[in-house]
Amino acid sequence: MRVLVVEDHQNTAAFVRKALLAEGFAVDVCGNGEDGLMAALTTPYDAIVLDIMLPGRDGLSVLRQLRDRLNATPVILLSARGEVDERIEGLNTGADDYLPKPFVVAELVARLRALGRRGNESRATVLRVGDLRLDTVSRAARRGGQEFDLTAREYRLLEFLMRSAGRICTRTAILEKVWDYDFDPGSNIVDVYLKRLREKLDAGFEPKLFHTVRGVGYVLKEVP
Amino acid sequence: MTIRTRLTLWYSGVFFLSSVIIGAVAYREFVVEHRELLGRDGHPSGEPEHERFEDEEAEEAEVLEHIVQIGAWFGLPAALLGLVGGWFLVRQALAPVAELTAAAGRITEHNLEERLPRSGNGDELDRLTEVFNGMTARLAGSFQRIREFTLNASHELKTPLTVLQGELEAASLDPELSAAHRERCGTQLDEVQRLAQIVDGLSLLTKADAGLVPLAHAPVRLDELVQDAFADAQILAQPREVAVRLGACEPLTIRGDRNRLRQLLLNLTDNAVKYNYAGGLVTIALEAAEGRARLTIENTGAGVPSDLQSRVFERFFRVDPSHHNEIEGSGLGLSTARWIVSAHRGEISFASEPGGLTTVAVSLAMEAP
Repeated sequence: MRVLVVEDHQNTAAFVRKALLAEGFAVDVCGNGEDGLMAALTTPYDAIVLDIMLPGRDGLSVLRQLRDRLNATPVILLSARGEVDERIEGLNTGADDYLPKPFVVAELVARLRALGRRGNESRATVLRVGDLRLDTVSRAARRGGQEFDLTAREYRLLEFLMRSAGRICTRTAILEKVWDYDFDPGSNIVDVYLKRLREKLDAGFEPKLFHTVRGVGYVLKEVP
Repeated sequence: MTIRTRLTLWYSGVFFLSSVIIGAVAYREFVVEHRELLGRDGHPSGEPEHERFEDEEAEEAEVLEHIVQIGAWFGLPAALLGLVGGWFLVRQALAPVAELTAAAGRITEHNLEERLPRSGNGDELDRLTEVFNGMTARLAGSFQRIREFTLNASHELKTPLTVLQGELEAASLDPELSAAHRERCGTQLDEVQRLAQIVDGLSLLTKADAGLVPLAHAPVRLDELVQDAFADAQILAQPREVAVRLGACEPLTIRGDRNRLRQLLLNLTDNAVKYNYAGGLVTIALEAAEGRARLTIENTGAGVPSDLQSRVFERFFRVDPSHHNEIEGSGLGLSTARWIVSAHRGEISFASEPGGLTTVAVSLAMEAP
C-alpha cells in the first residue's frame, strides 16, 4: 500500500513515516499543501494522510481540489483542533476519515488498513481465533467445549476484537465501534470490560488470546 | 434609606423651611411698616402711652395669627406638594439609575456583549451609561482573551503531545529495546495520554464557553440511556466491590443530544463509583416530577465537606488535592457534566453529607408526550 503523508510539522511527519514504514507501507511525505496536491494528482496513491493546518494551501483546500478533479483516493484528515464542525466539514468535502491530534499511530494504521480493505469485510457468521469461536447468529461464545453467556456489550466488544483479530484495536476505536462514543469518556470503561471478558474467556485457557498493548489498546491473536 | 427618600425629605424640608422664612419676612415687614406708620402719625387720639402699647400688641398678635393662618392654609399644602412633587421628580431623575442597576444585575460572563441603551443627551446619567458600557466591553475583551488563550494553548499543546505519544508508542513496541525499557516507555505513554485527555477536556469546555460546540436537539428516550449507564456502572463497580442499584426508571423522552447525555450519565455514574468505598452503594433513579425529568445519582463515600460543596463544579477542583493521584480522571468530569446540563437548559445540584450520602440531581425539561 502506498501512502502520501502531507504534514508540515517535521517531527510528526517523521514518526508517522517511521511507523507506516514499519507496518510495510510505502510512504511519501510532503511538507506543504501545494506539493501535496501536486504529488496526489501525479502519483496513484492508495491513501492520503492530510493535515488540515498547512502553510500556504490548507488541507481542506487540497482535498477540495482533489475531489473537484475527480480524484477519489481515500483521504484521512488530521487536525489538532478536533472540532465537531471541522470534522463534519472535512467529511462533507469528501474525506473518508478524520483523526484528531494527538492520535495513536496504531489507530492511524488501523484506519488506513480499513480504507484499503473497505468493501471486502469478512461476512463469516462464525468467527474463530485459536480455539475461541463466536457464532454471530446465536451470539454464543465457545472455548474448550464450554459455552459462555455474554451481555450485549460484551458480545459487541468480542465481535469487534475477533473481526480485527491480529490487529491492534485502540481504545478510541473500541469506544467508537462498541459504545458509539465520539467523545473521550474520561473513564477506564474499556479496560474494565476487557478485564471481564478476559476472566471469562481467557483466564482458564492456554494459549492466551487476549493481549494488552500498553498505552494503545488490545489485540486478539494466537501467538503473542 | 434610599437616595430617593432622602432627596424627597430634603426637598420638602427645604420647601417648608423656605415658606417659614417667607412667612417670617412677611411678618417682619408687616409689623415694621405698621410701627413706622404709627410713629409718623404721633399720638392721634391722645391716648395714654400704655393704652396705645396694648392696642399695638393686640394688633401685632392678630397679624401674627393671620400669618400663621396663611402659613397653615398655604404653607402646609405647599410643603405637601413639595413632598409629592419631589417624590415624583426624584423618581424621574433616578429612573435611568434603576434601569442601569437592573441591567448591571443581569450581566454575567455569558452576556458581556450586550450594551445598555444610551439616551444620547450627554447628561450625567448618559455619561455613566457610557462609562459602564466601556467597562463591560473591557471585561468582555478580557474574557475573550482568556478563552482564546486556553483554546490556543490546548491547540499548541496537541502537536508536541502527538509527537511525544507517537515516539513513546513506537518505543514501547520496539522489540530491540529491553523489557524494562519498554515498560518505562509504557508508563510514560500512560501519563502522556492522561495529559492529552486533560488538554482535550479543557479545549472542549473552552469551546463550549464560547458557544462553539453545537448540540443536537432531537427526541431522546432518557430511560434507555439510564438503563445503558446502569449496565456500564455495574461493570465499572465490580472491581471496586461497589453495588449499583437502579431505583425508579420511568419511560420518558426529552429533547437533546444523545451522545452528550450519555457522556453526562457516564461521568456521573463513574464519579459515584470512583468516590466510593468497598461495600458501598450507588443508586440511580429517573422520575418525572412536575413536568420535568429528574435524574438522581446517589452514592456512599467520604463525601464533600459543606464549605467545599459549592466548588465541586469548578475545573480541576479536588476535595483533597494531596490525594488526587489515587483516583484517575482529568478533574473535569463535573464541569463537563454541568456544561452538558446547562446546554440542555436544565439544572444540576450537588449535595453531600461527609461520611453519608452524596447526591447529584439533574432536572431536564421533558418533551410533551
